[in-house]
Amino acid sequence: MPYGLRMHEIDNGGDMPHSTREPRRRFLKGAGMLALGGMAPAIVRAQGEPLQLGVLTPLTGAGGFDGPRMAKAMQAVIDEVNANGGLLGRKVVLVVEDGQTNPEAAVRAARKLIDVTKVPAIMGTWASAVTSAVAPLCWESKTFLTTVSGADSITRLPHQGYLIRTQPNNHLQAGKHADFIASMGVARCFMMSIQAPFAEPTQTRATEVLKEKGSQMVGTLIYDKDKTTYRSEVDRALRTNPDLIYLNGYAPDVTILLRDLYRASYAGKRFAQSYAVTSKVLESLPHQVTEGVITVQPSADVTSPAYELAKKRLGIAEPDSYETQATDWASLVSLAIAKAKLATGTGIRDNVRKICQGDGTKVYSAVEGLKLLAQGREINYEGASGPCDFTDIGDIVDCKFRYNKVADGKFVLLKVA
Amino acid sequence: MPSLADVGQLLVNGVMAGTILAVPAIGLTAIYAVLRFPNFALASHATIGAFAGYVANARLGWPLLPSVAIAFIVAGGVGVITDETVLKRFRPAGYITTAIASIALTIALENVVRFVFGNELRGYELPIQRDWRIGAIRVGPQQVTNLAIAGVAMAALFGFLGFTRMGKAMRAVADNPMLAAIKGIDADTIGRIVNFVGMGLAGLGGMLIGLDTTIDPLTGFRSILSVFAAAVVGGLGSIPGAVIGALTVGIGEELCLLFLSPDYRSAVGFVAILVVLTLRPRGILGQRAY
Repeated sequence: MPYGLRMHEIDNGGDMPHSTREPRRRFLKGAGMLALGGMAPAIVRAQGEPLQLGVLTPLTGAGGFDGPRMAKAMQAVIDEVNANGGLLGRKVVLVVEDGQTNPEAAVRAARKLIDVTKVPAIMGTWASAVTSAVAPLCWESKTFLTTVSGADSITRLPHQGYLIRTQPNNHLQAGKHADFIASMGVARCFMMSIQAPFAEPTQTRATEVLKEKGSQMVGTLIYDKDKTTYRSEVDRALRTNPDLIYLNGYAPDVTILLRDLYRASYAGKRFAQSYAVTSKVLESLPHQVTEGVITVQPSADVTSPAYELAKKRLGIAEPDSYETQATDWASLVSLAIAKAKLATGTGIRDNVRKICQGDGTKVYSAVEGLKLLAQGREINYEGASGPCDFTDIGDIVDCKFRYNKVADGKFVLLKVA
Repeated sequence: MPSLADVGQLLVNGVMAGTILAVPAIGLTAIYAVLRFPNFALASHATIGAFAGYVANARLGWPLLPSVAIAFIVAGGVGVITDETVLKRFRPAGYITTAIASIALTIALENVVRFVFGNELRGYELPIQRDWRIGAIRVGPQQVTNLAIAGVAMAALFGFLGFTRMGKAMRAVADNPMLAAIKGIDADTIGRIVNFVGMGLAGLGGMLIGLDTTIDPLTGFRSILSVFAAAVVGGLGSIPGAVIGALTVGIGEELCLLFLSPDYRSAVGFVAILVVLTLRPRGILGQRAY
């Protein structure tokens, strides 16, 4: 199904408000009825303006596979919230913009959400470069931002608390990945990273951990994106004779790297993030090219009751980490607004930790939490992506990882650890 | 110290990359030579060509060469239609307005492709082969095929320009539109032909890029800056210049790896523009079409 259509559905789906035009339309309608038949005037029913929340996922570009699914997961939570009476007596509406996996386009879209739509929260930035560009707009305008970007630098920005991420940061990820690589008995690892904010910190941390575990990083390189071939880069990597090559990029470039490695007859292991080797990537490449590739992703908390609820809500057997993180953002933001009794970025910032950590009653969905908050009870939201406990700078405290291996064009679970 | 084999491998890689780049660069420069504006809609036409070839190859099961021909024909056809319906109206407003309209057009067309095919990466139904090793140098069979297709396309174009009446008329309009008009050459017809050939080459180039990688709606957009760099370095408006410019950018981007980290590769094309234009403001071969 084309994503353009999906965006349209989410963006303008039947119940999208036209708040500024509505009263005038009602007036005209009423006046028209009076003029036509002198009938009773239309009764203008008082109704709160809908509460608009911003969604800025990449619907196109390298993140175009995850973005639309994330937007859908958020919409599913908001539908439940609306069915339960909305927030602060108002109906909640998601305003979806396309970040295009492109900082410049995302900044324009964020400006629209902040300045025109005036949303209290923007949920969904995906690429680290996009989040780095959008975050300053958010904290300057006191808009709350939730993200899956992994670069360490993001939570170190002076965001004054207006940012949380449910994705493990780079440091945590790189360390765990290196630990896993060493546990496979790999002696010589080479890392090829796309030019992105996460490239160097990941290389540095993985090198440290590999050394601690008795393995070795025999070389690293950072490559340019948007190239049609990486043959020379592959040659450089192969000269170090690695047992494993960690392809730390995005789908378009990792696809080319996998092809070029196959052509160069590289027989060692290949390791990549799951967002770089997706099921669509497997479909687009011959099986012999992807055979044996190991992928890693932050895992949803598959044992959590929140995960079971997300499965039912989305109607899919195994929601992935991105869908569950998006589920958690929509829930956290909704609960923080209800707790603050105020739909502002500052209200969300000051209350988000009051609803997701601490001694309150554990809840596993937004609706469940909203009911308890309405009774004046304290809650602790436990998410589908993990426990959703945040440090002072907005990082999650811990999370699980899922390792898959490609066999005959399909993913086979190696382990969740 | 890099070995001779390393330099040789980089040179081979550079020639391969440059030759593929040359195909759409010729398209860009040919359109510029006749219509006098840089047509950035080339990016989306490269994508359209790549997808037309994909439909022929992966959906209809056609072999490589007919699929490549379809890429050329569909992109060329779309090029004529978009020029007639959109860009032609902008031309009286000047080349800057037309160039900007072409950027808008390319984004619109790219989204049409996205609407029809979605965002995911797609690959052609071609077996992937291991590289040949010739001494210390590695060469890919697919690259050699691409090189041959690009070479044949360029030879055909040069034959068309050099030996056919229409080709000569095209060069005449490019060199001196007023004189050509006095001689009774219809500039509109020539405009249509150059659009067909130029955008056809873009489509072919898009497919050649896709054969070596995968395709998605941004395939053309990702390469357009390098294509533009190649055309400018060679001399915008000069068709042999586009080939020389593409080889300069292609080989330059590879050889720079001897001294620079790979993440500076794209910068090389643009440094080449600055150096060449500083020394030769009209590009390596100037702006004579042929």
